[in-house]
Amino acid sequence: MKTVLAVVAVTVALAAAAAAQGTGEDPAQVVGAPRGPRLEGPALDARAKEIAGLLRCPVCQGLSVGDSPSTMASNMRAQVKDLAAAGYDQEQILAYFERSYGEFVRLKPPLRGVNWLVWLAPAFGLLAGAAVIAWALRAPRLVADAAPPTGAALPGPDTLPDDPSLARYVLRVRERAYGWPGGMAPRPDAPPADTV
Amino acid sequence: MAASAGSPAVQTPARASLNRRVLLLGLVVVAALLAVLLLNLGRDPHSIRSPLVGRAAPAFSLPPVGGGAPVTSESLRGRPLVLNFWATWCAPCIEEHETLVSTARALGRDVQFLGVVYEDEEDRVQVFLRRHGSSYPSLLDPDAKTAIAYGVAGVPETYFIDAAGVIRAKVAYPLSPEAMAENIRKVRP
Repeated sequence: MKTVLAVVAVTVALAAAAAAQGTGEDPAQVVGAPRGPRLEGPALDARAKEIAGLLRCPVCQGLSVGDSPSTMASNMRAQVKDLAAAGYDQEQILAYFERSYGEFVRLKPPLRGVNWLVWLAPAFGLLAGAAVIAWALRAPRLVADAAPPTGAALPGPDTLPDDPSLARYVLRVRERAYGWPGGMAPRPDAPPADTV
Repeated sequence: MAASAGSPAVQTPARASLNRRVLLLGLVVVAALLAVLLLNLGRDPHSIRSPLVGRAAPAFSLPPVGGGAPVTSESLRGRPLVLNFWATWCAPCIEEHETLVSTARALGRDVQFLGVVYEDEEDRVQVFLRRHGSSYPSLLDPDAKTAIAYGVAGVPETYFIDAAGVIRAKVAYPLSPEAMAENIRKVRP
């Protein structure tokens, strides 16, 4: 019985080696031995789909391998599924593709080196924006404190802009709004216009 | 004049300093963008920095077009290798085919040339090679596993691998005779 088992084990090992030969390269040499359990059925499909969503399709920018209809992406999906079936975990599979395509292939840049900027920049932008808004809200009060408006600074009924063309409009508005002839305010001692 | 007091024609010192600060910030941002632009102006837009350059070439074992025993990367060690991913539907591949065939012929046994067919059918490849000539084997990569292992994103892509099996250059555009000679020098001392 033991001999039969040993023969079966050797045959399976040889078959596995032959399969690896057929595909060219053994992924274990790139990312180490599989760290997870072998997967199959719906669990494998779900895991493969999840990981394909984390890989950038190299031929169609902006799409994940999971979303792209291209042949390249479909080949990559098959490769992801093979690796997941063999028990490679998510990080190992992403690292396998990263070895060939570079960090570009990860849709979510890992937290290392200059990538911290990518993750921190939005938070920094939010803080900077809040600071600018706070400053802008504070600024008018400063102006108000500096120069409180006085009655003398406001325009009177007979003041006019220096610009003659503007002055003409102001006079017309006053004429329409108040019924002042020519837009000129009536003098207090002058008789009312309608009695003339 | 008093009539213009309603609109702040005269800037308060606080407003003026805000404007100066915004202007300064804008200048810093624009200067940074210009610096990035200038630093990258001299770069070749076709050159792709492959993470595999300087590393061991991924192993492969692929059947040749027309049948026969699989060609393994292991069996090619000891000689520089030019690995060209191509397809019959790719116009730039047709453009560089002549350069590949004539260089492979000229270098003879000094440098091994291999084609790897990318997303194509064996029949079409055979017709193409009969029509355009060939001086080195082309291999089939049906599920593109080898293309993926090499980080191929499109065709043509050519890898120059030295005798020790280390990738020395990756070219992602149709090779001119000059570009071919320049890259061959990187793998053939």
